[in-house]
Amino acid sequence: MTNSNLSDDEAKASNCTSREPVMPSFRLNAWLALTVGTYMAMLFLEKQHPDWSPGLKITLCLVPILPGLIYLRKGLELLRGMDELQRRIQFESWLFAAVGTAVVSAIINVFNSHGIVAHWAPHRLEVGATYLMMFCLWSIGVMISNLRYR
Amino acid sequence: MKNRMRELRAERKWSQGELAEKLGVSRQTINAIETEKYDPSLPLAFKIGLLFKQPLEQIFTPGPA
Repeated sequence: MTNSNLSDDEAKASNCTSREPVMPSFRLNAWLALTVGTYMAMLFLEKQHPDWSPGLKITLCLVPILPGLIYLRKGLELLRGMDELQRRIQFESWLFAAVGTAVVSAIINVFNSHGIVAHWAPHRLEVGATYLMMFCLWSIGVMISNLRYR
Repeated sequence: MKNRMRELRAERKWSQGELAEKLGVSRQTINAIETEKYDPSLPLAFKIGLLFKQPLEQIFTPGPA
């Protein structure tokens, strides 16, 4: 039904903007990929050219920040475009991911301090592994919340 | 919180998708409200009241969700 079929009150109450569940868009993921790509390129170049001047190295280190900031902005735009239930789902999922990551990191630390780390387990979490774990926990959180509010 | 959303929507022969469009939310939100898994915010509740031309207390009643 369109706005023209609605009464004044109905039209006032209606924004007529359909908001289907929003998943991270292709464009948003492209900015994330670009951020990770420039970060990897920065690490590679830094290793390959240890003789570069400190000024050049600092500039190189700052390059991934630009696509990272754009990614952050696009992510916030996506969040603002969500309706209240979708925002709640995202909030619960991020909380789950953050607390889950903190708990797993703490457990690994406790195991390390008591020398009970299995031979295959990491002795400390690398930054990349932490991000990956957070992403996995966020995905699980989104799945659980979607099932809950289905 | 209990609500009469499903009943009011059925009276008007609207689908969940149509109601979602009128309220500017997702169909998932409408379903979650109707199944009482989610309580809408006050602004959304007012929009619902305005759309169905009913006072809020006739749509939403206190009670376990």
